[in-house]
Amino acid sequence: MDEDEYNIGIPSDVLGAGASTDAPTPEDPGFMDLFGDFLFGGGAQGLAGLGLLTGAYNRLGGIGERGLGLGQNLATQQMQQAAFRPYTITTPTGAMFTAGPSRPMTPEPMTPGAPNDGIFIDDGPGFTFDPMFADIRQGAVIDDTTGFTSEPLPQRPDGPSLRDFFNQFNGTAAPTLQPQGQQFGMQLSPMEQAFQQRMFGDAGTFFGQGIVDPSVREEQIYGQIETALDPQQRAQRLGLEERLAAQGRLGVKTSQFGGTPEQLAMEKAQAQQLAQARLSAAQQARQEQMQQAQLGQQYLGASYIPQAQMLSALAPGQTAAAQAQQAQLYGTGLFGEATASGIDALLGAGLGQANLMGAAGTGLLSGLFASPESAGGTEDNRSGFFRNIYDYITGG
Amino acid sequence: MAQELRSINLVAPAFKGINTEDSPLAQDPSFAEIADNAIIDKRGRIAARKGYDVITTNKTVLGTETLRAIREFRDNAGNSKIFSVGNNKIISGTTTLVDETPGSYTITTDNWKMVDFNDSIYFFQRGYEPLVYSNSSSAVQKMSTLAGASGASDIPKANEVLAAYGRLWCADVTNNKSTVYWSDLLIGQNWTGGTSGSIDISKVWPDGYDEIVSLAAHNGLLIIFGQHSIVVYQGAEAPATMSLADTVAGVGCVDRDTVQQTGVDVIFLSHTGLRSFGRTIQEKSMPISTLSRTITKDIISLIQGETQFFRSIYSPEENFYLLTFVGQQTTFCFDVRGTLEDGSFRVTRWPGSIFTAYERLTDGTLYVGTTNGVSEYKGYSDNGVRYRFKYFSPSLTFGDASRLKILKKIKPTLVGANSATVFMKFAYDFGTSYRTTEFTVGNQQPAFFNVSEYPTYSELSSYGISSTFVEDINGVSFVNGTTGYYEVDQFLGEFTSHPTTGSGGGSVLNGDSYFNTAEDIYYVYIEGSFVDLTTLTPTSFSEFTGGELTNQRSLNAVGSGTTVVVGLESDINGFALSLQEINLLALIGKTL
Repeated sequence: MDEDEYNIGIPSDVLGAGASTDAPTPEDPGFMDLFGDFLFGGGAQGLAGLGLLTGAYNRLGGIGERGLGLGQNLATQQMQQAAFRPYTITTPTGAMFTAGPSRPMTPEPMTPGAPNDGIFIDDGPGFTFDPMFADIRQGAVIDDTTGFTSEPLPQRPDGPSLRDFFNQFNGTAAPTLQPQGQQFGMQLSPMEQAFQQRMFGDAGTFFGQGIVDPSVREEQIYGQIETALDPQQRAQRLGLEERLAAQGRLGVKTSQFGGTPEQLAMEKAQAQQLAQARLSAAQQARQEQMQQAQLGQQYLGASYIPQAQMLSALAPGQTAAAQAQQAQLYGTGLFGEATASGIDALLGAGLGQANLMGAAGTGLLSGLFASPESAGGTEDNRSGFFRNIYDYITGG
Repeated sequence: MAQELRSINLVAPAFKGINTEDSPLAQDPSFAEIADNAIIDKRGRIAARKGYDVITTNKTVLGTETLRAIREFRDNAGNSKIFSVGNNKIISGTTTLVDETPGSYTITTDNWKMVDFNDSIYFFQRGYEPLVYSNSSSAVQKMSTLAGASGASDIPKANEVLAAYGRLWCADVTNNKSTVYWSDLLIGQNWTGGTSGSIDISKVWPDGYDEIVSLAAHNGLLIIFGQHSIVVYQGAEAPATMSLADTVAGVGCVDRDTVQQTGVDVIFLSHTGLRSFGRTIQEKSMPISTLSRTITKDIISLIQGETQFFRSIYSPEENFYLLTFVGQQTTFCFDVRGTLEDGSFRVTRWPGSIFTAYERLTDGTLYVGTTNGVSEYKGYSDNGVRYRFKYFSPSLTFGDASRLKILKKIKPTLVGANSATVFMKFAYDFGTSYRTTEFTVGNQQPAFFNVSEYPTYSELSSYGISSTFVEDINGVSFVNGTTGYYEVDQFLGEFTSHPTTGSGGGSVLNGDSYFNTAEDIYYVYIEGSFVDLTTLTPTSFSEFTGGELTNQRSLNAVGSGTTVVVGLESDINGFALSLQEINLLALIGKTL
């Protein structure tokens, strides 16, 4: 016989012990005899007891299964009750924070004015950004082990400029996000997104200008100053030429001054003017470079203002949601406790019923399996039969 | 009834020099039609010029050529050396001419100009590297060989040079006749460093184009003479900042060597005659006056006919500016003491001049260059050869050109001309056939008061001791009426007793004299003792004359005409001659 620990039926060998197929011997009474003896000799009582026991046994099993089912139902119900309730926080400027079930997301290209999902939080193993998404969007990664961790901006690509680096967000290539259960979404209003994009783009522009070789700008500024000075210097030269012509000195050449002292002085002054202009251009170029960097920083910071403002607005909304969630959880707990109490009572009643039936059955069987020695007679085959059953049941 | 003689007195005839420009009839009798070999003497009379006396005794270096330029070089120590050029050589000396031409320096032209500057004398000629002489080097050297000199290629090979305002200025180089170069301050050989420089005035010429001929410095100005225009710069002391002060169009300079500074003016020969810048101190303009209005046509003709070169000199001692047209052997003598009413100088003419160079020395001596070498302008003969003095008056009308004049007497008054033969000439009606009468001037040795009166004492003559008369009312009264004393040779001073130290610093020498204030006696030392001068015996005594020899003659004249020209000629041979006046006596006849 195969061992089946979950099979609570009577073992076949046990049941088959008194129902051998072999022909009765003369010494052995026939089955009917035996059966009659059994029935009239107290067997019916024993069977009744057995039936009760079996019924109690089965009831107990049913109670357990029912309890399990009720518990599961309760858990399921509580799971539903305690489940996160999606909510949305909308700022006065139109930004929204949404907490809800996850969904496959395909961010729209970050075109100015286009809606954008902003930061998405996964509810899987922990809070995490999609690295790809996070890398290119925010430059910060939040993983489940370290929590929120800011990481530096990814290295600037060698080839394209920083502006190109920023401009890639305006491209059409959009990473596809895999659905990962619960997710939270923050979405700026179109105006804010447009503002953010403009600020972001301008920041890139400024940073791009900030890293341009200052000598280029210096030459540009110097050229502008030179252009501005050129008419004045030309007028000075012409004026001097006229004065020298009036003085008959146009043809003067001296070893000391080259031309006339006035010409030397004027050329010197103009050269100094241009030298000063070059110095000013250099200073201006570097100052502008610093200003570009500062503006880039300011614009970059300003590009996060909508998000920061949205996050600021998120706190009170989250507090209200947390309170609602807490109340929900509390209600769920009460519901669970109450339901569990009912289940306990139900299970207790079942157990009591089963115990009662078991006790009754036990009592009926106890007579059936009473020992002959203890009854003053001899043990016959019948008694042996039920004893075996009894022993089998009781484990004796 | 006899007609009264009309007297016409020509006082100081030709006092105003030659005038060939105005009509003879309308001329002032003070002008002269001809005044040859004449000057205007110190009393304003027409007189014979001086001659020249050749100094040079050895002119082997010069050969048969003539001196083209003479220059006295005086260094800072006061040493003097005479340089001249001629026969393609740089020459020094006066009596014996010495070739100073640097070795390996070939000269083919003698158109040099020499200037003194900062202890050196510089020689400039177009196309030639300038030469320099200084007493420290004692040799004429090429400029580029001097210490601190610019390279030979950087030194202007100019034809005109001027030393002024602490620099050398030069101009007129080959292929560039519009640029004036100036040297570094006080360094005549440095033309590329320091404060040297140049100015191209090609854009300054008032007529658009001209060529620099000469340079002059005057009154803080740099005067640049072009051929047909003049440009004047002010502030030339700092040439880098000097500026145009004035320009004159239409008047230029004919030749570099006609420009002379008189101290108060700059005289130069233009194409229309002699001109000068009037000195302007207050005025900013630069008026130009013509100094040869009376001979304009003559001088223009000479300018145009000149084929050789010009020479000029200004002599304050002689009070004249000489302008010589060498090729035509004609010299005009402009008296610079004053000008006529029209602003021109009184001018006389020296025909047959062989003068080819002039130089006025620091002491006023005037050197003249000829084929004979160096000569001195002095005496009254051209190196022993007589020359003819001529005077001819303009045509005289005696106040009425329409009436006949019958000349009766000519009474000239001459001064000087000792023993000279004088020819008086006269002609009528513009005729050229002169009637001549002659006379010989008397002989007189002049003695001059208070100049050099040399009484001769027999006791002193053997010692060669001379004496000088000093007029003194407290002195000794001499037989000739003068009162004073004679300083004999070396006057030692006034003493109360015989001095013991002579004029030589040692013992008393013969001729040393002193005035004894204690005895009021003038002593002279003779042969070991002091002798009272009044005890000596004057062997001779010069008599004071009445002045210069004056001759006044009365010469008969004949003929008649409406106009009369009177002339005087005399060969000058050792004595001066001045024409004081000519008095003409004539009858005025009928009207023709």
